[in-house]
Amino acid sequence: MKKIIAIIRNEKVEETKSNLEKIGVTGVTYLYVTGKGLRDGMGPSRFQGSEYHPYGGRHQLRQLDDAPVSADPVCLPAEKEREPGFRPQRMLVIVANDSDVRPIIATLIATNYTGHHGDGAIFVCPMISAIRVRNGEQGDSALV
Amino acid sequence: MKMIWAIIRPEYSQKVIDALEKTGISAMTRLHVTGHGAEIGITAGHVNYSEIPKEMLMLVLPDIDIAHAVKIISTTAKTWQKENPGHGSVGDGKIFVTYVEDAYTIRTSENRKDRFGSSGKDR
Repeated sequence: MKKIIAIIRNEKVEETKSNLEKIGVTGVTYLYVTGKGLRDGMGPSRFQGSEYHPYGGRHQLRQLDDAPVSADPVCLPAEKEREPGFRPQRMLVIVANDSDVRPIIATLIATNYTGHHGDGAIFVCPMISAIRVRNGEQGDSALV
Repeated sequence: MKMIWAIIRPEYSQKVIDALEKTGISAMTRLHVTGHGAEIGITAGHVNYSEIPKEMLMLVLPDIDIAHAVKIISTTAKTWQKENPGHGSVGDGKIFVTYVEDAYTIRTSENRKDRFGSSGKDR
């Protein structure tokens, strides 16, 4: 059993809903969240020509393991170039059988792809069990 | 790759976010939640308030950054006690860390496992 956490654009929720229904996903939890990605949730053109690399911070961080918390990595864009990054997005939580994970992820990617920054991310976490509150049913049968 | 769920005081969330950003951790999701801990909320007079507003931060990071991020969150989200410096107070929040087996960026369809490594049962 796996828990799929998808963070997607607000305007794609209805499309995602109907596409998930088509492949037989019945239980989905929708949450209103705000979030930002590795590029502070901004458009693709913002950093063109700059030295900023989306994963650059990671390498910096490894060297900074024992450094004081306030150390400022050089890879971040200058303060004035950045905007308040949190934008409204929607979080989908789906608990599914192991075999259903691949089609669900494929559907989510196909539906939410626009090619621009801010399309979102999908995370798959292990899940031990599920319990139906109504009758105490446990395990895989509680999902359908 | 691991996932951090941090429940913190709403008034401290911006401080925590800024501190994380300074070390290069910029990708995160913020949720408004309510809840209570072992003290079952706050009781004022005869009234018990068991749903205290908190803010939840969700971050997915490679294993190597987890300890660092937890350190930043736990030091920045702590309230300051005059008579007992270094100790926070009840209601400062909690940090949970869970495994992430797979992570995808929708824009590139890239599996981040290749870059960050998986830390599921198959580790």
